[in-house]
Amino acid sequence: MFVADFVLLMFLVSIFAGIFGSIAGLGGGIVVIPVLTILLGVDIHFAIGASIVAIIGTSSGAASTYVKDKVTNLRVGMFLELASASGAIIGAAVAAYTNSAALEFIFGCILLITLVPMVMKIGEEIPKSPELKGLSKRLGLKGSYTETDGRIINYNSTRPVEGLAGTLVAGILSGLLGIGGGAFKVLSMDLAMKLPMKVSTTTSNFMIGVTAAASAGIYFARGDVDPLIVAPVALGIFIGAALGARILLRSRNTTIRKAFAVVLAIAALEMILSAAGVLP
Amino acid sequence: MNLKDPESMNQVIGKVLRYGVILSALIVILGTIGLMVSNGTSETGGYLAYNPSAVPHDGIDVSPAGLLHGLVTFSAFSWIELGVVVLIATPVSRVLISVFLFAAEKDRLYVMITAVVLALLLFSILATPSIPGFHA
Repeated sequence: MFVADFVLLMFLVSIFAGIFGSIAGLGGGIVVIPVLTILLGVDIHFAIGASIVAIIGTSSGAASTYVKDKVTNLRVGMFLELASASGAIIGAAVAAYTNSAALEFIFGCILLITLVPMVMKIGEEIPKSPELKGLSKRLGLKGSYTETDGRIINYNSTRPVEGLAGTLVAGILSGLLGIGGGAFKVLSMDLAMKLPMKVSTTTSNFMIGVTAAASAGIYFARGDVDPLIVAPVALGIFIGAALGARILLRSRNTTIRKAFAVVLAIAALEMILSAAGVLP
Repeated sequence: MNLKDPESMNQVIGKVLRYGVILSALIVILGTIGLMVSNGTSETGGYLAYNPSAVPHDGIDVSPAGLLHGLVTFSAFSWIELGVVVLIATPVSRVLISVFLFAAEKDRLYVMITAVVLALLLFSILATPSIPGFHA
């Protein structure tokens, strides 16, 4: 394959990855990694390096729109970043002593199981807002955003400690495996903290850039960030994330939940198949 | 811009992220154009070869000195790597500026939270790569 063809192909794939990643709140990594490894035969280390760039690109590219339109809950995001950043460091510290295939298998199965409560809530547009009390109240974990039809949605959150614990798992996974982090962030905010779906995916989108940046130093220094691969990935992701952000703001929460459930299923299967040695 | 206005926090953070992405994109575009002109019709093979026995695995020196040398000699790869550095710095800058934005709101709790996140982030990016046993 010629360099020009490779660049064009990865550019187009990454636009697609950016659209899905920014809507589901997981970043574009889960699309970019299998295309690189399975379709193009690129080494998994380069694919993970490209995934880190794709995640930071999706996060920053879409967040600028989400934050300006106040769908992202900044306080929830920054509070949970305490756990995701700590988790990323813990994951990096224990990586040498863990069996990554076993971990991938276990967490892939956990993600598959979380599809059940996800699917049970599939028709839910806005959750019944819990009462704001205790730690959530002290931390100001509430917010409001405006739907495109002009409705103002006010919401509170609950169970901040459970949210923090789920996000810690997300951070550890990111540090250990480089994948799976975004899914656990969205699930923590949706299932535990009871935030509206749009708030959960856009706040996850906001946080994943920080988690990925935490691990970026090592991948960059090692030479896992190959410029020929990441140049078209970054440029495609920027365009995809900008498009995805526009689509999300105009979509119903039920639609976003469906899109997230599909992406969650794909991410879970990728992890399980990779653990089984079927995928690189 | 009135930093004490909570509305403006979203504006400032949104702008930091947007400018970071635009700057990174411009540099990566420059590098990609250079790459197309110099190597567009080469085979990808050699550029995608992962070398497990040597660091850096892609054979491109990204140490500060190596990167600078590549930049002044107009290596397309080095310019792309600079764009990646700007991209990695974008969420870090966002956290840094959030500390000041919460300080302007006199929200001590969140100044503390974001300062801890910033410390964890800088430790992870700058220190952990050189701690033996990490990321093995």
